[in-house]
This record gives sequence, C-alpha cells and structure tokens, in this order.
Amino acid sequence: MFIVDTDVHNYWSSAEVLLPYLEPYWRDFLVRGEKPGPRGSFPHGHRPWLHPEGFSRADIRPETEEDNYLIMKEKHLDLYDIDVAILTADEPLEASTLANYHYANALVKAYNDYMIDWWLPKDSRLKGSIIISPTDPHGAAAEIRRLGGHKDIVQVLASHGSQRPYGDPFYHPIYEACAEVGLPFAIHFGGQGGVNHNAVASGPTAYYWETHALLSQPAMTHVVSMISNGVFEKYPDLYFVVIECGVSWLPSLMWRLDANFKALRKETPWLKMLPSEYCRRNIRFSTQPLEQPQNVRHLWETLEHMDGQNTLLFASDYPHWDFDAPTNLHIPPAWRDKVMGLNALEVYKRIEAPAATARVA
Amino acid sequence: MTAAATAPALTFACKTADVAVGKPRIVTIGRIGVGIFQLEDGYAALLNICPHRAGQLCEGPISGTTRQTDKTEFVYERAGELIRCAWHGWEFDIRSGKCLVDDKLKARTFPVHVDGDDIYLEMAR
Repeated sequence: MFIVDTDVHNYWSSAEVLLPYLEPYWRDFLVRGEKPGPRGSFPHGHRPWLHPEGFSRADIRPETEEDNYLIMKEKHLDLYDIDVAILTADEPLEASTLANYHYANALVKAYNDYMIDWWLPKDSRLKGSIIISPTDPHGAAAEIRRLGGHKDIVQVLASHGSQRPYGDPFYHPIYEACAEVGLPFAIHFGGQGGVNHNAVASGPTAYYWETHALLSQPAMTHVVSMISNGVFEKYPDLYFVVIECGVSWLPSLMWRLDANFKALRKETPWLKMLPSEYCRRNIRFSTQPLEQPQNVRHLWETLEHMDGQNTLLFASDYPHWDFDAPTNLHIPPAWRDKVMGLNALEVYKRIEAPAATARVA
Repeated sequence: MTAAATAPALTFACKTADVAVGKPRIVTIGRIGVGIFQLEDGYAALLNICPHRAGQLCEGPISGTTRQTDKTEFVYERAGELIRCAWHGWEFDIRSGKCLVDDKLKARTFPVHVDGDDIYLEMAR
C-alpha cells in the first residue's frame, strides 16, 4: 500500500546544529544569549504545563545526531514501508512563541536551511516543510518565497498556537505567498506558550493530559476563522492542513456553522458557499491522534459526516508518545488506500504518485 | 501419570546475570520478544507487545506510580513494580501484566523458572 505519513518529526540532539546556518548576530544570541534550558536547548517561551514523562517514545534513544535519522529509518520508514514522510520538525515550531520576531525569523530560517542541507539528502522518502514564525507574516512570506520552489518542499507549516485566529487579515501575506509558490499552509499542535498565551480557551490547564485532550480547541478557532474571513475565496486553490488536532470534533462544528451562516450570512457577504463546503474543498485533517471510542463504529459514523474518506490524511506523529502506527489505524477498511496515501497526492502536488496508481480524480 | 508427563515445557531465556532489578533484558525466542524482569522477590516475564496498540511494552521505563486517593495528595507507591509502555505510556503491573486503568486489558505473561543461574520460561499454553 502507498503510504504518505504527513507528520514525522525530525529530531535533533542539540539546537546547536543550527549554528552554521545562523547569521553572526543570531549565532552569538544562540551561543551566549539566554536559553530556556541548558546549552543546546531551543529558544522559546515555554508552556505553562509540563509533560510528566517527556514527549518522545521511550524506545527512541538517539545518542548522536546521525542516530536521529538512523533510528527513524529503522523503526519507522523501513519497518512500516513508508513511501513518503513529511518532516514536521519539532522544536522549531516553538519559534512562534518568541516576542522577538526577528530572532524567531532567524531561527526558523536557519532550521529550514539545516533541514534542506542535512535531512532531505539522506533519503528520497523525506519531504520538507518550510517552518515559519507567524508573528511576522511579511517575514514569513519572504521565507516562503525564498524556499518555496525547492522540489522536495511540500508545505508551509506553523504552530497551532498563535496570537490571533489564522483567518485574520494580518496573516494573509502568508497565504498570498503560499498561493504564489503553490504550497499548502499547515498548522501543527504546539506553540502554546510565550506570546501565544491564549492557546487553551478560558486559561491554561494544569495537567498535560488535559491539555492534550483539548488540542482541538485552537484548531476549531482557526478552521472557523479561515472560512469566515474568506481566505478560500481569495485563494481558492489553497489547501489548509490541520495536523495533530484531532478530527471527530469537525462534523458538529460544521453543522453549527452552516446553521448560523444561513441566518447571518450578511455579516460575511464575501462567502459564496456554505462553511462546510469550503471546509470540504480546502481543508484537510491529519488522523493522529485518532480518537479511540469503545465502539469504533461510533467514530466511523462521525468520520462519515466529514467525508473522511476524502478529507483525512494519515499521520503517525513519529516518534512522540501519542504515536499512531500505520498498521493499527482504526479507520474503515474501504478507506485505507485513500487515507493512507492517495488523498495526500491531492494536497501535496509535488509528491510523485506511485507508478501503478493514478492520482485520485 | 508420571511427573515428567505433567512437567511444563521450558524454554531457556537468559542467565540470571543478564538481568538486574530495574534493568530488564529483552530476549528473542523464536520470533517473539520477551522482557525478563528481576523484581525484589523473584523474576517475571512479559511479551514485548503492548495489548493497547502493539507497542514495545518492555522498552519503556520501570517505575512506580501515584496511589488512587480520596484527597489531593501524591502518594508514590509500587516503585519498581510497573512498566510504562515505551510508546504510549500505559502502565502495567510487571507480575500480573494487568493494565492499571483497565484490568481487563492484560499484557501476556510467562511463568518463570530459575534453575541455578539459568532463567527458563513456560511458553506453551
């Protein structure tokens, strides 16, 4: 089966891998400046909660930088016969939490160059995401234009923690650049500290498992905002990919949105379709962490209401503690070919279709 | 019926020196991986496949946990008696294989026999 894993985290052992890619001023900042941890930690404004066991699977134990790739190859890419793995970085997403947006831009730029230089040449199965810091949309747009033409770059990625809902016109320069270079805009769970102080509604949670269960909250806000602010009227071909934010909340949100729109469409006269129609056309959702009800048929019925067969993209979240293995994904068997790989071909146009399989029409 | 006819079939796993308290050994027997654990009062063996999502159960940390309480307090107990699955962190009792939050979910256990400095498992069921 053709498998595209849309969420594979390429770890580093030390953020100092970025040093060769930073301009001198920012290199000094990373070497001598304040950091949130010991040498090698990545600058970010931390979350108000802490994971009690750490984020990584306990069986992933890199000792060298090279191990980060070798273990990924052995325990993931080769083990599950993954055809394409979209790298989603890890700590670099947290640059969005820094108030100093110049520093944030410098860090993500260095990461992007490091990723292109160090990771992509290692394995033809690896594809890259341009990480941006959304705190400076014009800076982010410049970064998208700088690297957007690279053949192995398949998306633009930001944290789901942000200062404003992503449909806000403040962010539209990002989408203009994405549309220009032909890349999807994706958000991934994270960036929930520092300047992104409202990433959990009503205030910060105390326990990590609470926070993780609420990972859908910012995604709900962003999905609604992207639709209502007319992003998909301005950029009708833009795909918005929601990664690691859960999926089964979507149908009830769309039912509510469509009902409200029918009454109050005059507030947003630029919209020409129902909210759910924009969602179906322009938004895709990664599967992990797929909800786990006692009776899987309850999940499947919910997923049918969001046309999951066509809107879900497989993701493992390797090597995190809430990893979903490709061999153990509880979706309807008839959907597997599309969800595991073929749907991704529609979104990520630069991924080559398997020879034996035409792109989904 | 003779004693020999009723004796369980034993499979060699490893030497006692290969494991220590807090330091299990994962051995491959045929095509399956089994974690061999030394506890304060003996040995235990668990299939290295988590009944939750088939993760590498025995590669996770050995730990204790907080006792269920009636008030807001943190009483750490059962130190060294639990294994947290390496993938998703579900907690299992090393001796019984039972999952702490759902005792109907059970990791497969194998009876352990020690003969001198050799550790054997009863694997046939």
